[in-house]
Amino acid sequence: MIEQVIPLVVATLVAGTPLVYAGLGELVTERAGVLNMGVEGMMVIGAIAAFAVTQATGNVWLAVLAAMVAAMALSVLFAVLAISFRANQVAVGLALTIFGTSLGSYLGKPYVGMALVVEPSALMQAAARLPLLGPILGQLHPLVWLSWLLFAAVWYFLYRTRRGLVLRAVGESPTSAHAIGYPVQRIRYFATLFGGAMAGVAGAYVSVLYTGLWTEGLIAGRGWIAVALVVFATWRPGRCFAGAYLFGGATMAQLFAQSAGIGLPSELMSALPYIATIVVLVLISRNATVMRLSVPASLGKPFSARA
Amino acid sequence: MPSFSRRDFLKTAAATSLASAGGWQPALAADEVLKVGVIHMGAISDTGWEHYQAEAWHALEKAYPGKVKVTMLENISQIQDCERLFRQLSTQGNKLIFGTTFSQYASLKKLAPSLTGSHFECCAGIEPGPNLGVFEARHYEGTYLTGIAAGRMTKSNILGWVGAFPVPQVIYGLNAFLLGARSVNPAATLKVVWANAWVDPAKERDAVAALVAQGADVVSGSPNSPVQGLAAEEKGIWSIGSTGDFSAYVKKKQLVSFELDWSSAHINAAKAVMDGTWKPEGRWRGLGEGGYVKMTTNTPELPASVAAEMKAAEADIIAGKLKPFTGPIKDQAGTQKVAAGSTLADNDIKGMTWLVEGVQGTLPKT
Amino acid sequence: MVWLSPVIALTLTALMAMIVFAAAGLNPLSSLATFILAPVADLYGVAELLIKAAPLVLIGIGLSVGYRAGVWNIGGEGQLILGVIFGGYIALHFGTDGGVWVLPAMVIAAAMGGMLWAAVPALLRTRFNASEILVSLMMNYIAQLWLSWLVFGAWRDPAGFNFPQSQPLAPGALFPILIEGTRANASIIFALLAVILGWVLMNRSFVGFQLRVTGLSEGAARYAGFSTHRAVWIGMLAGGATAGIAGVGEIAGPLGQIFPTASPGYGYAAIIVAFLGRLNPVGILFSGLLMALIYLSGDLAQMSLGMPSAITGLLQSLLLFFLLTADVFIQYRLRYTAPARATEGAAA
Repeated sequence: MIEQVIPLVVATLVAGTPLVYAGLGELVTERAGVLNMGVEGMMVIGAIAAFAVTQATGNVWLAVLAAMVAAMALSVLFAVLAISFRANQVAVGLALTIFGTSLGSYLGKPYVGMALVVEPSALMQAAARLPLLGPILGQLHPLVWLSWLLFAAVWYFLYRTRRGLVLRAVGESPTSAHAIGYPVQRIRYFATLFGGAMAGVAGAYVSVLYTGLWTEGLIAGRGWIAVALVVFATWRPGRCFAGAYLFGGATMAQLFAQSAGIGLPSELMSALPYIATIVVLVLISRNATVMRLSVPASLGKPFSARA
Repeated sequence: MPSFSRRDFLKTAAATSLASAGGWQPALAADEVLKVGVIHMGAISDTGWEHYQAEAWHALEKAYPGKVKVTMLENISQIQDCERLFRQLSTQGNKLIFGTTFSQYASLKKLAPSLTGSHFECCAGIEPGPNLGVFEARHYEGTYLTGIAAGRMTKSNILGWVGAFPVPQVIYGLNAFLLGARSVNPAATLKVVWANAWVDPAKERDAVAALVAQGADVVSGSPNSPVQGLAAEEKGIWSIGSTGDFSAYVKKKQLVSFELDWSSAHINAAKAVMDGTWKPEGRWRGLGEGGYVKMTTNTPELPASVAAEMKAAEADIIAGKLKPFTGPIKDQAGTQKVAAGSTLADNDIKGMTWLVEGVQGTLPKT
Repeated sequence: MVWLSPVIALTLTALMAMIVFAAAGLNPLSSLATFILAPVADLYGVAELLIKAAPLVLIGIGLSVGYRAGVWNIGGEGQLILGVIFGGYIALHFGTDGGVWVLPAMVIAAAMGGMLWAAVPALLRTRFNASEILVSLMMNYIAQLWLSWLVFGAWRDPAGFNFPQSQPLAPGALFPILIEGTRANASIIFALLAVILGWVLMNRSFVGFQLRVTGLSEGAARYAGFSTHRAVWIGMLAGGATAGIAGVGEIAGPLGQIFPTASPGYGYAAIIVAFLGRLNPVGILFSGLLMALIYLSGDLAQMSLGMPSAITGLLQSLLLFFLLTADVFIQYRLRYTAPARATEGAAA
């Protein structure tokens, strides 16, 4: 029994990890009132940057760093257009996804058909010897452990630090935040760049550790699922963290059910996360109080200090 | 539905093809370069289907150095665009034009009769038509043989299959895989998981994990990136290179493999066009000389007896003595689908909508 | 002035294309000429441009009605797929013996399907205040999975060896061809009708005025007694109807049969088209043609210039980036002379 459960737990944790990174990143971005729908594009760029660096240096950490920088560069593009120039965030986000996906496939040409073999690190081997959790931890790359730290950090930042409070205030009411004297645009830049960096890590995780392979279509819509996830999580880090594994686990459950001979249409099961997201959105939106507590009030709306 | 039957269609097709092969097509002059066009639906970066399609025209260029010029388009994922692009390839003087997937077939069927300046070939097309040849591999001959290895090597008697989509090649492929396994190990069963994506390596990895969690110890499949093999290797179980040899990636745990080798389809068609003898044909070929299915590497750990067993079965298939879909074959519900001693006809194999007894998994209902 | 930035954006995009060509060792000028002119060098090419542009223009107009009112429908893709499903249902069941009514019925069903899909976010927005952006985005995926389920299951062509595609649509269920020898069909007429209707609606009708006021300021609209709910409904349904018609136009036109990938992403591309066309019907007509040209040129660049297929997406997204940037600089120039305070954007 336990031999059956452990692989599933590991697989769910692995499948959820890119969503944890991309989701928490986008969550911080959206908490500041910025809706960046270019997550998919940023993940693609992160994925190819990390793949290229791993191929050249063999160093996964360097690769993750490269992915963060590359995806952040894309988020700067978004920030300049959508924050400074106050262009429509939906349009810029969509264009960013098309841009990232195309650029990724353009830059990725030389890496086609290459595979990376990342040996388990010494840390993982050490973790495998731990009692109880060893069999699970030992199979997860430290980047997965770091995603748990990230969750803790994001939660602490948003709810226990002054800067987090300011960031949330900017998302709620940029006008008041500005009136009190907070640099609204600078905070939104920070939040957007953070979201970009995390999407980059998510992409790096998929290309270097999850699959070890570069191919076009590698990200396969996971960036969009991250956008849905943030809504599903009602913009709260705890629910986002749990939701990432729920969404990742939903894929696993669907594959598991199929191989166990349970004959539900797989399309219906694939649609469940999206349906669930709509339901959650309706549940929180119908009540004005819950809505105010959940959705950043200025989400998607550009801010101008002149107004 | 159009009112004519497939038989009528084949008759007209044959008549037209005779007419078009009636000697007027000129052979290429000795110094003339044959221009060949290929449209890939996906990216060639896909390590499976499109990759092997691309290998074929690479082989063609190599077979006729300086005599053949291939123009290739990839990532033409919009079926809407196929018709225009095939037409443009034709007007640009490509005398031989290849489509690489079944979704291009409808466009080609419509275009080929009117674009007489070029000849068309469609891989995985449904049936030949005027000025349109089709070719497809008998995947099941390869999966039957790899099934023998799987049946011998499994300890849990549970095999796994990761399918991209339930298209004909995949359905008859996985059925034959289990038939091969059961020919040596009647206790073997096969669990099937559909990834519902042509390219989503991460999901294929998850699918392997799901199969392993349910006790599968040999996995094979159809979306074909090395990722399935890599995932299996990580879990310490065997994988099979099905329609692609991934031993360069999967260093230790790839049990056996077969490749789809389309080079003879491309080279023969090009040669026929150069000689002025091209005519539209439907070719469905498996193992053996000039075939599209090639057995490739076996792991050194494969016992010699199993390798010999596979070799013998391969020889029998090539000689026509062994036909994988020979009865008695029952479906999942236990209903007899093929009577003892009889063999499924080609069109029944292509149009299979059922899974053989011992497969755990489902097909979409019609 | 509003038309200056598209021109600048276009010039910059062309420059970028030339840089990409030069980087690939091609002559930038002649390659650019090939890129722009080759796809439309003959009548067939022009017809191809028109049928590629038709769905983009059609959906772009529909979406722009909502966008003008501040209703952000990004579910064009899903609404298009519903057009495929509803229109396809009529075509498959009544196509052979439905007579002259088949085509009108298909178009109406498709429009209804698209509107039905758009009604979900509209209802959830007006009834429960749920963001139409997010709901319409989710609906895209659900629609795609629904179509996939149909084509892999019940709608599979029994004579097609299980391949995921429907039977070919009966000749009576196909849009009539406008120019003999090409694929230019009636969807072009729908697109042109949409341009005219869109223009009349937005510029010559009271509803259009209400929508525009709502888009500029919800407060002002409420003060004037204009219902924001009505704006949401009109905006969403306009997008749904046009996307649905565009969807049926694909299966009754270039596809001729139903595939799981019936939509090649037109629903998303149309969002860019709408913005590129400044949410103005005539502008959208031109931006739709332009986006269609980039699609065609991208394919041709692979064929004759050996460029990678990614060039299409790169140029399309760059075009929008440049446009948005050019907008700002033009606005700055205007504002520079005015005695306004520097904006936050300038500081950041």
